[in-house]
Amino acid sequence: MIKIETQIFIQEKFAEYYRQSSESVEPPPSLEKREFAFLLLKEKVMLRHKGFKNSDDLRNMLRNVMPAHVYYSTAYYEKPEEEMDAKGWLGADLFFDIDADHISTPCNKQHDTWSCNNCGKTGRGAPPETCPTCGGQKFDDQSWSCEVCLESAKEETMKLIDLLTRDFGLSYGEMNIAFSGHRGYHLHVENQTVQKLDQGARKEIVDYIVGIGLEPKFHEMGIGRGPSLEDVGWKGRIARGTYEFLLNATARQLDEIGLKRNVVNTLINQRERILESWKGAGPWRTKGVGQEGWKKIVQKAIENQSVKIDTVVTTDIHRLIRLTNTLHGKTGLKKTHVPTGDIERFDPLKSALAFREGTVKLLALESPEFRLGDERYGPYKNEEIELPTAAAMFLLCKGAAQVREEKPRV
Amino acid sequence: MLNRAEKRIEEAILYAQVTEQQRNDEIEILSFPIAVMMASATNDPFLKRRYALAEAKRAYNLLKQEDKEKIQQVAATFNWRIKSAKTAGFAVYFTDFLRNATGFHETKWKLVNRTLVKGEVYLTRDEASRLLEEEVRGHIERKLQTKIEFELPQNVANGVERLKKLFESRKGKMRVEEMPKEIVLDAFPPCIRQLHNIIRSGRHISHVGRFALTSFLINSGMTVDNVVDLFRSLSDFNERLTRYQVEHIAGGRGSRTKYVPPRCDTLRTHGVCTGMDEICRRTRHPLSYYRRKLRIMKTAPTETQP
Repeated sequence: MIKIETQIFIQEKFAEYYRQSSESVEPPPSLEKREFAFLLLKEKVMLRHKGFKNSDDLRNMLRNVMPAHVYYSTAYYEKPEEEMDAKGWLGADLFFDIDADHISTPCNKQHDTWSCNNCGKTGRGAPPETCPTCGGQKFDDQSWSCEVCLESAKEETMKLIDLLTRDFGLSYGEMNIAFSGHRGYHLHVENQTVQKLDQGARKEIVDYIVGIGLEPKFHEMGIGRGPSLEDVGWKGRIARGTYEFLLNATARQLDEIGLKRNVVNTLINQRERILESWKGAGPWRTKGVGQEGWKKIVQKAIENQSVKIDTVVTTDIHRLIRLTNTLHGKTGLKKTHVPTGDIERFDPLKSALAFREGTVKLLALESPEFRLGDERYGPYKNEEIELPTAAAMFLLCKGAAQVREEKPRV
Repeated sequence: MLNRAEKRIEEAILYAQVTEQQRNDEIEILSFPIAVMMASATNDPFLKRRYALAEAKRAYNLLKQEDKEKIQQVAATFNWRIKSAKTAGFAVYFTDFLRNATGFHETKWKLVNRTLVKGEVYLTRDEASRLLEEEVRGHIERKLQTKIEFELPQNVANGVERLKKLFESRKGKMRVEEMPKEIVLDAFPPCIRQLHNIIRSGRHISHVGRFALTSFLINSGMTVDNVVDLFRSLSDFNERLTRYQVEHIAGGRGSRTKYVPPRCDTLRTHGVCTGMDEICRRTRHPLSYYRRKLRIMKTAPTETQP
C-alpha cells in the first residue's frame, strides 16, 4: 500500500507536470470525433466517454483532473460522448502494440517480482499460474522497464516497420511511432484507406504479421525446393529466416525444434556448404535433410520472422490508447514520439523523462539496478537516498519507495 | 422485361444462380433494376441474400470470359486500386482485397498466404473475378436494403407475391437445426473443452478465452446461473461482476445483443485454439462443430465394450 504522503507527493508532481507541459500535448487528428478517458490519480476511477471540441479544452482538462493515465480512442465517432451503442462508429486507425510482456526476452524478466495475495509468498520473473506454496492464483506483480526488455521491444518494432513498408507499402510518414512510457512501443497508422477496415480485415493483417495460418506451400515450399533470399513478401521472409537460423543454430537449438540426430549432424557439418548454396537454388536439396526436417526448420524461421504484436489490440476497433506526451502512472515517464527513421538510435530511458529538475529524499524499499538518462541507480534495499526527481518518481510510481522530503529546485 | 425480372429472382430461388441469357441486351439490362425493386419489395432478408448471391454468381461467370482490360474496368467502377501485373494476373491494393476476401474460407485466400508487395496483393485473373463477385454481392445487398416507399403497379405486385410463395415453399426444405435441451459435454470442440476444464480446476484463462467459453455455453443453452457457478471456483470470483458479464453476453443487458463465440480462425489468432481434430477440419465455428458432433453422436450407435 502506498503511504498517503507518497500518494499526495505523486499527485502534486503529476499536477505540476500538466500545469507546465500541457502545451506539449498535441491533440490527435480529428480530435472532436475521438473518445477520451482519464484514470484519476486520487479517486482511482476511470472517467470515460469524454469529448473535446478543441485542444484548449483538452489541455484544460489535463490541468484540472490530475490523471494517472490519459487515453483516447483509435476510433472516430459521430458522438464520442454517448454510450458505446449510440456513439456511431465512423472508422478507426490501425494500431499496433508491442509490449515486452509478450516477448520472451534474454533477461527472462528476472527483475520482475510477484507476491501471492493469499499467503504472501514472493518470487522472481513472471507470476506463476498457481502459487507454489498455497495454490492461490491472485498475485501482485511488479514489472520493471529494463533495458534488455526495452531493446527487445524495439527490435520487434523495427521488424514491424520493415514489414509494413516492404509488404504493406506504408511510408514512414504514415507511421506514428511512440515509446509507451512503460515497457513497449506503439505504432499508429492514421491513413484514410485503413480507417474503414472491419475487424475481420484487421484480423487478417494481424495473422499476416504474426504468421498465423501461414502455409509454406503457398510460398514456393515443396519437395526439394523453396524460396530464395531476395524474394518478396513472406517468401523472402521464410528464406531469410531459414538462412539466419541455420547460420548460427547450435546442435541444441536444432534438437529443440525436434530434428532427428542425423539431420542435426548434417546441418552442423555442412553449414558452410549450406550457406554457399543460397547463391544458387538454395539448400532445399541438401542430402540428409528431408521434407519433415525442412518443415520444422521453416516453422522456426517463420516464428523468428513474425512480429510479436498484441493480437487483441489491433483487432479491437474501439480501443483506447495512451495520448502522446502524457504521463504513465506506473513509471512517471511520458509516452514519447519516436522518429521512424531514427528508431535505432532512440533511447527511451533518456527521451521519456518528464521530471528533469530537483532532487527528492526517499526511503527506497526494494529495487533492482536500473538506468535513467545517463545515470545508473540501485540496487536498493531499505535505504535512505536522495535521487534526481525522475528517478525518484520512477521508484515512487512503482511503489518501491516512500517519500521523505523534496529539495527545492536549484 | 417484367417477365425476365421475375425470372431472374425465380432462378435465384430455384437454382441459386441467374442464367446468362443474352439474346436481348436491352431486356437483360433493364430487367435488372426491376428485379432489384421486386426483391426489395418481398421484404424477406433470406430471399434478398439469395438473390444477391445468384446475381453475383452470374457476374462472376460473365467476368471469367472477359479479357483483362474489362475485368480491370469493372473493378475500377468499384474504386479498386488495381493494376495489371506482368504475369498473367493483377495486383490489387490490400484493403480492396481484404474487404472482399475475409469471407472466403479456403486457406489460399488468407492474406498471409498471398504474395504481398508494397501494399499490393497478386491475383490470377480467375481470383480477381471471384473477388469481384463478392464485391457485386455486397453492392446488390446494399441496393436491396432500400425500402420501397411507393405502391407497386398491380402486375409487379402480383409477381412479388408469386415469388414470396415460391420461396416459402422452398424454404420448408431447408433444414432448421436445433440445439438439444441438455448440454452435451462430449460434443464440445477441443478448444471449449480445454477452457472448460481449466475453469473447473480453478485456473485462470485469458479474456478472449473467457468470452469464447461463456458465449459458447450460453448459445448451447446453459443458463446464466449455471455459467456463473462455473466461475465460482476461481480465487478472485466476484459474483456480482461475473453475473453482470455473463448476462451481458447472454443479451440481457445494455445493447441487448446476444453474443456468439468467435469463429475458429479468430480463436486461432488469439491463441485459444488447441489444435484441430477431424471435425474441426470440416467446420469453421465452435457452434457448428457442436451441432455436427451431436448429429454424429446421434447416428453412430455407441460402441459396445467387449
